[in-house]
Amino acid sequence: MDLTPFLVQALTGLYKGSLYWILALGLILIFGVVRVINFAHAAFYVTGSYIMYTFYNHTGNFIISLIMAMVLTGALGVALEVTVIRRVYKLETIYQLLATFGIALIANEAQKLIWGKGVVYIPIPETLKGGVSVGGVILNHYMTLIIVAGFLLFIATILFMNNTVTGLRIRAVWRDPVMSEALGINTKLTYTLVFFIGTALAGLGGALTVPLISVGPGLADYLIVTAFIIVVVAGLGSITGAYIVSILVGVFSSILVLTIPELDIVVLYMIAALILLFRPQGLFGER
Amino acid sequence: MSVDRRGFIKTLGAGVAGLVVGAVLGWAAKPSEVREVTRTVTVTAPAVERKLPKATVKIGVLGIRSGLWSTYGEFIEQGARLAAEEINARGGILGSRVELAFRDEQADVVKQARELVDVEGVDFIVGIDSSGNALKVGGIIDELGKVLVVSHAATHRLTEELVFKEGKKLIFRSSVPVYQDGILAAYIAKDLPVRKWAGINGDYEFGRVSWDLFTKTLKTLRPDVEFVVTQWPKFGTEDFTPFISALLASDAEALHTSIWAIELVTLQRQLTAMGGYKKFKAVVSTLGYSMDVAYALGAEYPTAELGTWVSARYMWLYPSTKINKEFVDKFKARWGKLPAYSAETTYSAIYMLKAALENAVSLDPDAVIKALEGMVILTPAGVRWIRPEDHQAVYEVPYGRIVHKGAEVPLLEDLKAVPAMLYYRHPPFG
Repeated sequence: MDLTPFLVQALTGLYKGSLYWILALGLILIFGVVRVINFAHAAFYVTGSYIMYTFYNHTGNFIISLIMAMVLTGALGVALEVTVIRRVYKLETIYQLLATFGIALIANEAQKLIWGKGVVYIPIPETLKGGVSVGGVILNHYMTLIIVAGFLLFIATILFMNNTVTGLRIRAVWRDPVMSEALGINTKLTYTLVFFIGTALAGLGGALTVPLISVGPGLADYLIVTAFIIVVVAGLGSITGAYIVSILVGVFSSILVLTIPELDIVVLYMIAALILLFRPQGLFGER
Repeated sequence: MSVDRRGFIKTLGAGVAGLVVGAVLGWAAKPSEVREVTRTVTVTAPAVERKLPKATVKIGVLGIRSGLWSTYGEFIEQGARLAAEEINARGGILGSRVELAFRDEQADVVKQARELVDVEGVDFIVGIDSSGNALKVGGIIDELGKVLVVSHAATHRLTEELVFKEGKKLIFRSSVPVYQDGILAAYIAKDLPVRKWAGINGDYEFGRVSWDLFTKTLKTLRPDVEFVVTQWPKFGTEDFTPFISALLASDAEALHTSIWAIELVTLQRQLTAMGGYKKFKAVVSTLGYSMDVAYALGAEYPTAELGTWVSARYMWLYPSTKINKEFVDKFKARWGKLPAYSAETTYSAIYMLKAALENAVSLDPDAVIKALEGMVILTPAGVRWIRPEDHQAVYEVPYGRIVHKGAEVPLLEDLKAVPAMLYYRHPPFG
């Protein structure tokens, strides 16, 4: 039996899983620390895509555009945290859902006004245009870049959380905000910082996809559902778990596309449902 | 596709006669706007004033106005507005002004349709992008009691089941249905020197029917073909890479797809990036010449060795008639871009209503239905014949091969047109 098609699907899945991971990381940070289920996360993701598109068209520089997409999306996240989301921290979850959902709707419409309803994208950078041929499929260098970027982001996040004072503060607030405040940690500032990091990561994810995925208003509305599933299945407190589950979901769903194309998504949802039934805290979450 | 021979010949005869009469009259008369052509001469007493009972004819327009596919609602709106502006500038319909009311079909289409009738008080409804939504509104059309002209949704069930079998006579359709994506695509594919086909189509009504009609028709026309792999991405797929690698793992030589809009742009770009255009000698993309796709891909629109064959439900460069050229120019002057297909189909839907009202001199739905049934009307897309049995507008749209000539959008060569009466299914729809 020729296993090459499975290898190719696994590699494609690795790329897709890395995209899920970048989106899921922002979600898990914001939910873990700030305790807000951010329904607007997809809107920040698409905002990152559009900012990338705009800056690339003006500068032609991929790296500068990527940084601007991250920073400006993060700044937008901070602006919304300070003006809207901060006001609903202590209210019931339903108010948080409504507030972030409202932001998502406004963002979608604003994107239409600014960038129009049409499809936009940027070309794959010249140096990354080629690829490695595996079994007749070209694994594009840009797809490899996303896999590598996702892994580096995972390492960087773990190092940041475990080896820096800011990371320690974030973990402390994640674990127990009241005690953290009693110990002199500025929780308000930590929330804002985490919101910046989370939304900047959404911006990074959106920006990285523009050369391969075409962008339109509401692009991530479907993608975000998978990211939410990943976060819940991984367990809401685990960054490592989110990375592992993202990659597993990417690879597994990709192989299902090859083997049982009729049922790929259904099987995935069934597995997620079973995990939550028998392990409600998620695969890597604490009880 | 089983067709009763006698019924087919009868329908074919009526259709051809209608199309010929319409074409001849249309050509002869130097039309400067869409103009209705009746098959009988009616002598009206000069003393009777031909007026509608209301000073305003209100038309409700449904389209996707939010989310990833909102461009399509915009196309429908552009076509509707252009038609209404033209008609009003020329004195309206029998002196009554045309007024439009727009609603987003994504926001519970049944509720929107009901509100158009109950709150806005519309006399007609046009538009609808989604096949599922067209069936939903079609299902309650007798309750609404208004004539509905669908101008995009392509499911054959709308006209074959709801109109023909269930007798919901208030429903009409101005746009070519899924016959274009399934049956005509097979007529194009049969002439290509490839045997093994792959398919990637949406996992919903339209995608499933497109592939089903394509495979069945092509197998009849070319019994030697094989369908070696099929992929069914869900509605809203933002990334096709796993589907593409699965397609490329097969030994298929050509690809059929009815994926559309932004999804098609991503599919084409990812196919190129992953070597799809090195593997597939031909690609048949049934909605590949939708203007959003043509503009977005531009000079990067990939071309396969034996051609990237594309079509739509109207293409701005066909037919080469005066009325079409004038429409394209007017559209471009008004909206700054070449007309998308659903802009033309909506524009023509409104002119179909205008012609019917001028014939019926009444807003009574039964009178309008009677005037629409069998109508032959010259429109930018060509002569449309409104088939009385299923209320489907019969007209032809060709396929063409993508070429790059440095124009505003990629152009088409080797246009292949098959007479509509050959590739449309016919009552009683086997």
